[in-house]
Amino acid sequence: MSATTDTVGTGITGWLGYIGGTLAAIPSQYRTALRQRRRNTIALTILFIVVVLYPAVGHYVLADFSRRVFPLPLPDDTVSTFMTIFAIMAIGLNIVAGFAGLLDLGYVAFYAIGAYCAAFLASPHFGALGINLVFLGHVGPGAAGIHVPFWLIMIVAIIVVATFGALLGAPTLRLRGDYLAIVTLGFGEIVPLFFRNLSSVTFSLTLGPIVISLANVNLTGGVQGINPIDPPYIPILGWVFDARSGPMAVYLGLFLLAIAILVARNLEHSRIGRAWGAIREDETAAEMMGVNTLRTKLLAFALGASFAGVAGSFQASYLGASTSDFFDFSISILVLIMVILGGIGNIWGAVLGAFALTYLDKSLLPYIGQRIGDVAPSLPNPAEYNFLIYGVILVLMMRFRPQGFLPSRQREAELTVHGLQDAEREMGVEVETDNVDITPHGQSETGSGARDAETTDEARDL
Amino acid sequence: MNTTEVVELGTGSETDDKMLVHARGVTKRFGGLLAVNNVDFDIPRGSIVSLIGPNGAGKTTFFNMITGYYVPTTGDISFDGHDIVSPGRRGRVKSLKPHEVTALGIGRTFQNIRLFGTMSALDNVKVGINVHLQSHWWDAILRTPGMVREERATVDECMQLLKLVDLDHRSETWARNLPYGDQRRLEIARALATRPKLLLLDEPTAGMNSSETRQMTDFIRKLRAELGLTVLLIEHDMRVVMGISDRVTVLDHGEVIAEGLPAEVRANPRVIEAYLGRGAAGES
Repeated sequence: MSATTDTVGTGITGWLGYIGGTLAAIPSQYRTALRQRRRNTIALTILFIVVVLYPAVGHYVLADFSRRVFPLPLPDDTVSTFMTIFAIMAIGLNIVAGFAGLLDLGYVAFYAIGAYCAAFLASPHFGALGINLVFLGHVGPGAAGIHVPFWLIMIVAIIVVATFGALLGAPTLRLRGDYLAIVTLGFGEIVPLFFRNLSSVTFSLTLGPIVISLANVNLTGGVQGINPIDPPYIPILGWVFDARSGPMAVYLGLFLLAIAILVARNLEHSRIGRAWGAIREDETAAEMMGVNTLRTKLLAFALGASFAGVAGSFQASYLGASTSDFFDFSISILVLIMVILGGIGNIWGAVLGAFALTYLDKSLLPYIGQRIGDVAPSLPNPAEYNFLIYGVILVLMMRFRPQGFLPSRQREAELTVHGLQDAEREMGVEVETDNVDITPHGQSETGSGARDAETTDEARDL
Repeated sequence: MNTTEVVELGTGSETDDKMLVHARGVTKRFGGLLAVNNVDFDIPRGSIVSLIGPNGAGKTTFFNMITGYYVPTTGDISFDGHDIVSPGRRGRVKSLKPHEVTALGIGRTFQNIRLFGTMSALDNVKVGINVHLQSHWWDAILRTPGMVREERATVDECMQLLKLVDLDHRSETWARNLPYGDQRRLEIARALATRPKLLLLDEPTAGMNSSETRQMTDFIRKLRAELGLTVLLIEHDMRVVMGISDRVTVLDHGEVIAEGLPAEVRANPRVIEAYLGRGAAGES
């Protein structure tokens, strides 16, 4: 049964699982699962090498080489770090949109809330209000404002953002399809506006003995945002690394990404993941089979949002600043494009899509723009038309490979015209081409064919 | 079977105890359309009961009220000592949610097959068992030993169910890629995974030829014998209904027009009239 419960792990566990799986006698029905597993293991190994070596030496060793061999820029530390940040977000959105099938167009809101968690908890900002608290931090005692260590911020951000995800989800998840998209779109617009405009808050609240009174208080830094934010200090064996620059930031990002992948994968292969799949496939049938749809969707929303919380607080700590104009609506769309390009429903697809688009956005397009600028300054800079280019890519993708780079098994079946027949062939079943939907076994008697077509039709009433 | 529990609850007499489902005065109105009108309906424990009637008689609507999908306009439905539909506040009717009803022990299939098409047969059945699993999302993230054990037990139980419906060799095939008859049986396996006391089958032999139909009726009998299930059946095929049912209830225009043993119902002039028209009833 081990093959069906899918025991692909990362790194060492993946290898052990692979070797163990190969040594064991393999019943034929698990061969497909094993092939999938072997492919995953190879991919993981390559990924592992790239991940460990590239940030440390790749940029310095390969950069010179690449400049001579092919004229493409390699992602530097900053771009690599942003790749991991966006990959974490893409994984989170993939839980909401890919696993549970809920279209969330306001995902940037959670990203912003995560970033402002870091901004509030690790900056001198609140020093102006006379709130000074240095807690377990690496900032010297007596510093103005609140200073909390990075890991604690991350945990707080996860909890806060997941709470906001649940708060948004509770009233809106009764909506289906397009309506949910519209409401989340609104939420994605509202939250950054809040952060932009809460720069002079006058507010008073009396709760028995507790009196909260604010007069013209700058809560979020307004348009300027909040800075400086403490860098992510990582204590390892008595040393404290400042992961704001250089390969350390990339490693921190990759570490967070690895955790994100593991968490998402574990969720996918659990009763929650199956319940999400059931809701995505047929919400009514899922409900009738005992799935508490509202609770399950809420969980998808909250858990998916928490990934954006991690990405947001990491990003704010990494950049040392948090401004509201960074959290534009276009980020929601960008992350969604990443998920779709990579292959919606597939974690590795989301990672690949995020890597590719971030590279394109932050490395390749500016580079091309620069080159064009050198040669012909009057031509438009492609970096300024990035969304036009993503649009074209998306259209081409939908035309030629709608299932994405690395499609999930489900989505591939839904979108490829011949996917069904391929799948059947793989299963060793003969396909009757004139009756693709169903392959009747001994169903040659009168009328059954016509009746089949009728009953398997997508009738939405029960 | 929670027979003892029912007695302890003391909700009623012996008749209540014998009846797994007890419905009184169930009415469902869709705007101006009276789909189900004042239906009284009981299902004895361990029986196979059929609900028949012409198209649009309200059979599926009634099904959907038992399973909590529709809230009746008025009425009471109790199942195994628990209220599914009961009078709520301010004259409104209170109904359990479908997933709560499923947890109580009612499993169902659909008239139009509604499997989770691009999930494997095994995963489809696993979804059915979900309602009885204890592990939480944090167990899933951390892969706690309890969760892993539960997952393993789930696979075993689901594979047994697939074996019962003779689909264990196709556990990894997507539901939508299965042949039609297999899909019907997979739906039953999925319903059985919810560990039901009552199994609701909505036209289980629709679109089947006579030999498949025979297999299906044998299978339904086997379910009752081996799993001690009570079965409520909606069916159009009269051979199936007459052959398998302990009792038959006939609905027409949302009302019960006949109820009794299959032979009694078959001879009932109102039933013949409903199915074949007034002239036919007069002739017989």
